[in-house]
Parts: sequence; C-alpha cells; structure tokens
Amino acid sequence: MQLTPLRPDTPEVRSIANRSESAIHTDGLSKRYGTTLALDGLNLTVGKGEVYGYLGPNGSGKTTTIRLLLGLHRASSGRAELFGLDAWSDPVRAHERVAYVAGEPFLWPSLTSAETFEFLARLHHGTDVAYRDVLVERFQLDTRKKIRALSKGNRQKVQLIAALATRAELLLLDEPTSGLDPLMEVAFRDCVKEAKGRGQTVFLSSHILSEVEALCDRVGILRDGKLVDEGTLAELRHLAVQTVEVTFAGDAPELPVLAGVHVQSAGPNALHFEVSGGVGPLIAALAEHPVTTLTSREPSLEEIFLHHYEGSDGHVGG
Amino acid sequence: MSAASGDGRGAQRARLELGGMGLAAPRALARRAFRDARVRTISFAYLFAILAYIQPVGYRNAYPTLSSRLAFAHSFGDNKAIRLFYGVPHDLLTLSGYTAWRVGGTLAIFASAFGLLAAVRALRTEEETGRMELMLAGSVGRGTAYLSALAAIAAGVLILGLAEFAGLVLSGLPAGGSADLTAATASIMPVFVGVGALTSQLASTRRMALELGGAAVGLSLALRVIADTSANAGWLRWATPLGWAEEVRPFTGAHSIVLLLPAAATVLLLVVAARIAASRDIGTGVLPSCESAKPHLGLLSSPTAQALRSERTSLIVWLSSIGAFAYITGVLAKSTSTAGISKSLQHEVSKLGTGSIVTPTGYLAFVFIFFVLAVSLFVCAQIGAARHEEADERLETLLSLPVSRSRWLGGRLALAVAGAAAISLTAGLLTWAGAESGGVSISLAGMLEAGANCLPVAVMFLGIAVLAYAIIPRASTGLSYGLVTVAFLWDLFGSLLSVPHWLVQATPFAHVGLVPAQPFRADAALLMLAIALVGAIAATWIFQRRDLTGP
Repeated sequence: MQLTPLRPDTPEVRSIANRSESAIHTDGLSKRYGTTLALDGLNLTVGKGEVYGYLGPNGSGKTTTIRLLLGLHRASSGRAELFGLDAWSDPVRAHERVAYVAGEPFLWPSLTSAETFEFLARLHHGTDVAYRDVLVERFQLDTRKKIRALSKGNRQKVQLIAALATRAELLLLDEPTSGLDPLMEVAFRDCVKEAKGRGQTVFLSSHILSEVEALCDRVGILRDGKLVDEGTLAELRHLAVQTVEVTFAGDAPELPVLAGVHVQSAGPNALHFEVSGGVGPLIAALAEHPVTTLTSREPSLEEIFLHHYEGSDGHVGG
Repeated sequence: MSAASGDGRGAQRARLELGGMGLAAPRALARRAFRDARVRTISFAYLFAILAYIQPVGYRNAYPTLSSRLAFAHSFGDNKAIRLFYGVPHDLLTLSGYTAWRVGGTLAIFASAFGLLAAVRALRTEEETGRMELMLAGSVGRGTAYLSALAAIAAGVLILGLAEFAGLVLSGLPAGGSADLTAATASIMPVFVGVGALTSQLASTRRMALELGGAAVGLSLALRVIADTSANAGWLRWATPLGWAEEVRPFTGAHSIVLLLPAAATVLLLVVAARIAASRDIGTGVLPSCESAKPHLGLLSSPTAQALRSERTSLIVWLSSIGAFAYITGVLAKSTSTAGISKSLQHEVSKLGTGSIVTPTGYLAFVFIFFVLAVSLFVCAQIGAARHEEADERLETLLSLPVSRSRWLGGRLALAVAGAAAISLTAGLLTWAGAESGGVSISLAGMLEAGANCLPVAVMFLGIAVLAYAIIPRASTGLSYGLVTVAFLWDLFGSLLSVPHWLVQATPFAHVGLVPAQPFRADAALLMLAIALVGAIAATWIFQRRDLTGP
C-alpha cells in the first residue's frame, strides 16, 4: 500500500492496537470499477461510541465505502472490518451488530410500512418495538400506507425508523436525511444524539455540512476516493484558513506581502484577509495603521470543505 | 401513427395535436422508445421468421406425397385435440393450407403477447418509473407522448410482419398468400396494443396492467379454443381477435374484408385509451389502487417467505392457467383416435417429434412437452424475479441485515423448485381429471408421473439460469428465456429438417421420455439433475464473490 499517513500522529501501529476497540477499521481499502478508481487506499478507524461524519460531494466514494463496509461489493485491495470481523468474509456476524440506512430507500412497494417493519425486525433480531413506536410517533409516519404510495421522504423515514429501532451498536447512515423536511431533520438529529448517548457508534455519510457540524465528533473529508483530511472540528479549523476583516479610519493602507495571508478589498476603507497558519504577522503589520474595527472568526465547516475542493487543481470536485 | 391522430376528431384532435413544436420531439421520443424495446423486438422477429420458415419446410419433408398428406389431413382435420393448439385447419393437403394453420395458429398467440407487452412497457412502465412525468414536465404534451409511443410500437409491428413474410417467402410459398397470412397475424398485434394501452390507463402499476391484459389474452384464446373444438360454438370465433385472424383464411380463399374488424377494434381501443390518458392524473390509474391496508404479518418471517409473498399472485396465475389448460386437454383427449389411420402414417406423424399423437395416451404425452416448456419458462421467471430484486437494489437492503447471500439465493432456488413441482403436479392431476370427465380412462399415477417428468428439464434450466444470473446478472433473464425457447423450437422443428441425428438431439427436450406414452427416462433425468446441481453450486460460489449489480 502506497500511502501517505493522513495524520502524522496516527501511526499504523497505533491503529492496529486500537482495532479491537474500533467499530470500523479499514486498511488500504481500494475499489476499482473498470477503469475508475472509486476508492483509493482508505485508512479509516472509527472508535466505538464515536459519531463520525463522512463528507464528500457526489461521486467522491462515500457510498462505495459503505458498500465495502457492508460486504455488498468486494474490495479490489485492502480490507475492511466491523468490530474486528472481516466485512467481506464474515458479513452475517458483522451485520448482527449493524443497522444501515441507504441513500435511496429501496423497499418492497406492495408492503405497508408496518409490514416492512415486521419483516426487517424478523431479519434483525433485537428490534426494540416500544422504541419503534416512539419513533413512528416522532417522525409522524402513517404505517398503514403501502410503500409505493409514500413519497421519497416518507420512505426514507421507514428505513430510518427500522434502523434506529434495532439499537444496533453501529449505525451506517448514507445521506439519511435526503428527502426529509426541516422538522424531520430536527427529529433525526435528536435520534442521533440519543444514539450517541446510549453509546452507539454512528457513521454518517453526508454532504449536508450543518448536519455534520452539529452532530459529529470527528470528520473525514473524501475527495476523488481519497481521504484528504480527518480530525475533530477543532483540529480541522486549526489547519484551515481564518477569516479576518478590518476597517480603517480613512483609506485602506497598502500592506506588505505576508506569507500565508491572502488579501482582498472589502470596500473603500476595509480589507478582507484569509490567513492560513498564525495571525501574528498580520497583527504586527496592522499595528502601524489606524484600525477602527477588527473581526475574526473561525472558518465554518463549509469553508474548510470548500478549501479542500479548491485545492491544487483549482476547481471544485476535481 | 397518422391513422390514430386522424381518427381522433374534433376535441380529441385538439388534445392530441403535436402543438407548435414540430416533429423533432416526437421523433426523438419514438426513437428512444423503439431503442428501449429493441431486445424484445429482435427476439420476436427472430421467432416469427424461424417459425414461418421452418414449418413449411418441415411439412414438405415429412409429407412429400399426396397420399401421405391425405392421411395426415384425415387424422388431423377432425382432431379437436390438435385444434386446441392451432385452430381449425381449412386445407391440410397443400403446403400453404398447412402453413396457414400451423404458423398462423402459433404466431397468433405470440402476436397477442407482443402487442400487450409493447404497449404496457411504453405506456405504463414509463409512467410508473417517473420518466413520463419528466417528459411531460418539459415541452412535450400528453398527446405527443402517447403518439410517439405508438409510433415506436408500430415500427416494431412492421418489423415482425416483415420477418414473418420473409420466412414464408423464403420457404417457397407464394408472395400473395404469404402477405395474407402475415396480415392476419399482424392484425392481432394492434388490437392487443390497444388492449395494453387501455389496461395501462386502468391500472396504476405495470404488474396490474399486464395482469389485466394477460387476462384479455387468455380470454381471447379460451374463446378461440371453445369455438374451434365445440360442435355448435363456431360463432364464438367472431368474438375474439384470435378468431378474426383465423377467419381471414389466408391461402385458402382469403377474406381480407375480415381485417376491418381488428382495424376497427384497434381504433376504438386506442381512442378510448387516449381519452382517458388525456384526462387523468399522471402516475395514477382509473381503477382504485389500494394504498393503505391493515398489516398482514404472514409470510414475513424470512427472505424466502417474503419472496413467496411477493410471488404469490404470479404463482396463482401460473397454477390456475396451467391447470385450466391441463383440464381442457384432458377432456379433449377423448377425441383423438387411431381409427382409420395406417401404421405408416402414424410413423409419419411421430416425426412431429412426439411419438404416436393420435391415441389419447399419445396425445397427452404430446401435450406434456408443452407443460415441460411452461414449467421451464416458469423457473426462468423466478430467476428473473430474483434478478429484479437485485436490480431494484432491495437485495442491498436485505444483505445489509444478518442475511447471507447463500441463504437468500438458496431460498429463491428452493421457491422456484417448489413452484415448478406444484405446477407440474397440478398439470398431471388436472389432465387426469379432465380425461376422466371426458370418458377416457387413464391412470392417475401415470399422469402424475407425466407431471413430475416436467421437472428434470425445468430444474436443469433453473441451474443454467441461476448460473447465468451469477455470472452476467444484467443479461441473465433474456438469456435464459432465449435458451429455453430455442431449445424447445429446435425439438419441435429440428426433427422435420434434414439435419444429422446428433444435431436434432442437441436439445434437452429431445431427451424427455414422453410419459405416459413412453417410459420415464431415468438416465436423461439424472444427467439433467446433475447439470442443475453443478449449475446451482457454481452459481452460489460465484454469487458469493461478486459485487451486487444495480439496474
């Protein structure tokens, strides 16, 4: 496996030692479809009880990762484990501890929601029926309706409720809120927080940044099948650009060129800075000028995300 | 489809008008619909051409002299049991009269199936998948969409007609009569396109539209069968499109005027369907569809139980139609008799590939080769349903649960075998019951054995189909249906051609002992079951090692 470590402080040795305590562990996981390399040497470890946000635009390899984790598709190289069980060769034992919500709700059109719940519960032992009733209430689902009569959002609710009610140790959620309205999005977030409270592990694949920002302990950013960044939000912010806006008494001055500082005019007497690394040199340079206001804010996840996609080749999405 | 727009007059015309958009959009739509249907069109065209060619050639080989034809006509002309399959023959002494009877009778049934499938695919399936909504949201009107779909089907019908005509002419038949016969067969297709267009408006799902249309095809066939086999029911022939095609009487004094009946019926059905299509909500049907229900929790305990639940309706349809057919053939067995037929002719008749057909036992054995075909097609349909489950990605939902691939596939195979066994034994039982009520004494055990005798071939095709499914999921359904059809046609007609013996024997159908007329062939059955077993094991091994494959 030809790989550059994603975080220098996470050597391979430590991740192997952690394996038995991890819910998800992948090692150089790659998947090739014909000539397309959909996933390229993914090294990922998600600890038990963690809520992990898996970010990336369409086609970046999020669903491929989940299909490999579930043993639905076979890795071209590398391996994936759930709770130390091989995802490909031991799927049934692994799935007893997993619940999955697919990005598209693929269910049986002639069954009603209630029948679907019954069927899925029979196949996944340990469904909490009382909790399921609570969830049906919370997501306001009419369980007498047949799946074919439901809108996409409602079918998505059926999947979500069935998955959450299993109280599985690991929830694999692939863009679970696509099609949900804002009220249901709130209900979903509450459910994920409850799951975390109970010690369940959540792997949340998403491109809705606010959702990931609100829920996740750690975030991984995927681009063209490669994990390009990973860490807690604080860690990601530390590495990303900070925005500084400054207004002056009088015209904005000419400042010397500073390494890691990108400057833009923001009006006749204001400047907009994007700073990667420390802000010290910028503050020192500003000290000689009549600054009236200075605002600085940490980057949103969206800015971090876009930063990765405006990277070396200069356009979003690669 | 200028005909259809020309017939919708007045207000209808305004609705169906192509607007100010010119012909670019309808042409693009029709072209795409035609492309979508190309595999079905090519398969049917192939079937039409082969059947139209092989039957006259076979007749010429099998009955070269006038005396052999006289004897053949004598035995078959009044044989009601044979009429069940092909209708009433008008002249069995000539090549053309024979062809009109055999080719016309067989292709009529395929033609009705083609019309129905084409219409439901182009109209209801497009709507159910939401593609129609997408088109209508653009600058395409409902009338344009409807007419474009019909234009694409018309092109398919034309191709099938050309295939049949080419087959007939190549076999050495005169062009004029061939054209009449082709017109008679082709006249059936638009009527059932109309039926399919109508059921696509009535039903809100593809499945229901096909079921309703299938019932119409079945009814037409049943009416034709009753008209051709009952003494005083000949008038019923005028009540069914399949009967109209018979009444055209190509080659034997053609009544082309009869073709006005299917033309009128087509126009009526298409206009009614267009009216409904213009006024209803997209995505719905006229018939109420039950969208809510109290939960029925039966048959949900395992993937196999749930598969049975999904396939329940189709299994009931298979059982009841095969059962009804078996009962009728049983009743008609009485009318076959060897009286007045020479031994040498019986030998000639046996060249049809089926032993002595003119005794009740021989006739029933002959019929059972069709049940072998039907059960083989049933197992293909079962593997098709399994593939459908994967293509619609519901299998992904199942396999993300603690369900192993071998458990799922094994369950589907068990279901297919159990269904095939149920259909086979039903065929045996009801043939016996029919024969008994018709006054022919025949042993129940013998008929049940005849039923069970359908299984080795069907199970072998199941093994091959599941192997195809494991290796090439996307092409597997068409491939397995095609294989069964080709193998069967080869058995029926290969023996009529002057080809080496081993080549004639190169189909599993040739190795079926024709129970009850012949003994059960255990050696062949064992070999077929062994092939099935190897196929199933290899398929499971491969299926466990491949990616799930979407649509």
